[in-house]
Amino acid sequence: MESGKGRRVWAFVLLAALVLLLLAANLAVGSVRVSADELREVLRTRGGVETAARIVWTLRLPRLLAAALLGGALAVSGFLLQTFFANPIAGPFVLGISSGAKLTVALTLILALSHGRTLGSAAMIGAAFFGSVAATGFILLLSARVKKMSLLVVCGVMIGYICNAVTEFVVTFADDANIVNLHNWSMGSFSGIRWANLRVIAWVTLVGVLAGFLLSKPMSAYQLGEGYAQNLGVNLKRFRLELILLSSVLSACVTAFAGPISFVGVAAPHLMKSLFKTAKPIVMIPACFLGGAAFCLFCDLLARTMFAPTDLNISAVTAVFGAPVVIWMLVKRKAG
Amino acid sequence: MDEIILHTKGLAAGYGEKAVLRDVSFSVRGGEILTLIGPNGAGKSTMLRTLARQLAPLAGTVCLGKEDLAPMHENELAKKLSIVTTERVRAELMTCADVAATGRYPYTGRLGILSEADKKIVAEAMALVHVTELAEQDFSRISDGQRQRVLLARAICQEPEALLLDEPTSFLDVRHKIEFLTTLRSLAREKHIAVVMSLHELDCAARISDTVLCVRDGVVDRVGRPAEILTSDYIETLYGMAPGSYDAFFGGAGEQSFFQNRGCKSFPCHKGVDEADFNCLFCYCPLYALGDGCGGSFHYTEKGVKSCVDCAFPHRRENYGKLLARWPEIAALAGRKPDGV
Repeated sequence: MESGKGRRVWAFVLLAALVLLLLAANLAVGSVRVSADELREVLRTRGGVETAARIVWTLRLPRLLAAALLGGALAVSGFLLQTFFANPIAGPFVLGISSGAKLTVALTLILALSHGRTLGSAAMIGAAFFGSVAATGFILLLSARVKKMSLLVVCGVMIGYICNAVTEFVVTFADDANIVNLHNWSMGSFSGIRWANLRVIAWVTLVGVLAGFLLSKPMSAYQLGEGYAQNLGVNLKRFRLELILLSSVLSACVTAFAGPISFVGVAAPHLMKSLFKTAKPIVMIPACFLGGAAFCLFCDLLARTMFAPTDLNISAVTAVFGAPVVIWMLVKRKAG
Repeated sequence: MDEIILHTKGLAAGYGEKAVLRDVSFSVRGGEILTLIGPNGAGKSTMLRTLARQLAPLAGTVCLGKEDLAPMHENELAKKLSIVTTERVRAELMTCADVAATGRYPYTGRLGILSEADKKIVAEAMALVHVTELAEQDFSRISDGQRQRVLLARAICQEPEALLLDEPTSFLDVRHKIEFLTTLRSLAREKHIAVVMSLHELDCAARISDTVLCVRDGVVDRVGRPAEILTSDYIETLYGMAPGSYDAFFGGAGEQSFFQNRGCKSFPCHKGVDEADFNCLFCYCPLYALGDGCGGSFHYTEKGVKSCVDCAFPHRRENYGKLLARWPEIAALAGRKPDGV
């Protein structure tokens, strides 16, 4: 037990250091070179007049903070879903929940734009939340009939495809000017996030993750199975509702601002479980948040720099690093 | 005498509208064991789930102490009643101590962090069921027998007044069955816990229970001391067996529920024999008498001894049906003395 505690301490230190390092790297690296002195100056004065300073303050900083927060939110959302479905490959992207959110956001956006209006952060999250909950509800209905978890995941992937198809269809009929924006967003990207968005993101994410952390006791009882959780004093109906709403809010927040991002919700929790050698929610929720943040910062760094000045879409990068983790996990589970 | 802890009156249990079991009334005192017996599908598990409040009663009441179970607060209930079920426990990356410690949750704060006192109670519970040495082992890598013990330790950590167990011995071999039930009995006596469980092993039920409650066709057929109830005539009626088949097979009610292979070179029971030289399945598998048609996989050793690989004997509840369906055949074959091996 004591050795486990030691491991957790150094793992947390390692993760925190990694996140800090990646934050710094994301700030310093880019198509425009910025020296350390200039960076310090920008951070101290909150901006500046020179081009370099403006780039760092208005583009890079919000983007990297968003990548960290949303990455963390995604990983925690994935962990909540995995607990809920007792399935390590459940995640907002895999189960089609992100795609559901994407569909409703696209619909809302097009509807608003065709009336000549733009959408605020809250409306975006609202639309995405509606889509997430609808997709989750559908998955829940299926899960009552489909007992086998692998089949449920297949159903989720199918729901994802259907939602994507409808989104494509809708986008085809949107105005040309909107399509460019929509297309960018629907592929997943952290670019274009502003300080005003960031404030909303920070609130939703931090409150969501904190709420998840406060649910860690019933969650760890739930990990044993429903019967035992109920016997340990968990109000199952309320707990399941809280869990599903919370995970929907978190993934909705991500989809609303960065579009659907693949595999982070599955890969990050799994990597964290392997690192911490535990699945206890009280450890896993902060760990997933940090791990997801590091994962997304790393992937976004690559997305920005690999083919600079062209941005890759973030899902392409997260898939390259996330999908092998998922495959590795599936193979290991089969063997064990 | 201890006071009554668990008490039901006119209880009807079932799913939806349909009652599987009606008009169940009984009471269990602290330190007593009440065992539910009856054929598959008679509603034993349904009843246990109703007692644990996982299902709402369709009629009647369940009382814990003097209080009605239904309006009790979840956490309150968790401190008074604990369960060991057949539900497969998903315990990812959990040590046995972690699993046992979940029993302390009703007593911990918002985040479920264990105090030193809690840790001591967990250690004591694990010592009580003899799993202390498993504390740091991965729960998913221990044997079925050990797993049931750890789950029992978990249940004790809740410091319950009543303990419900649904077929706790189903996955265990004969030695672990006996060990588990012996521990359970001393536990009930020491801690004055009222125990209600379901069992399929009638001989075990006869030895361990203070009271046996037989359910049949949706009602309680008989309640009483095991010796009064578990006569071979009644067992045949209860399970719908042909008259005489129980005795023919077991050679007298309550004697033994397993086939003793007296022809085994290690009989009686492997004294001074290397473990590698015997296969315990020889000695209690009733299907052994069926010869090659037992339904399990096996191979013959060089000495011509049948060595069972994958026994079809119902250690798992899903096999009971299969076995019961073949009962007349088995009984007829077992009627003659088993061929000495």
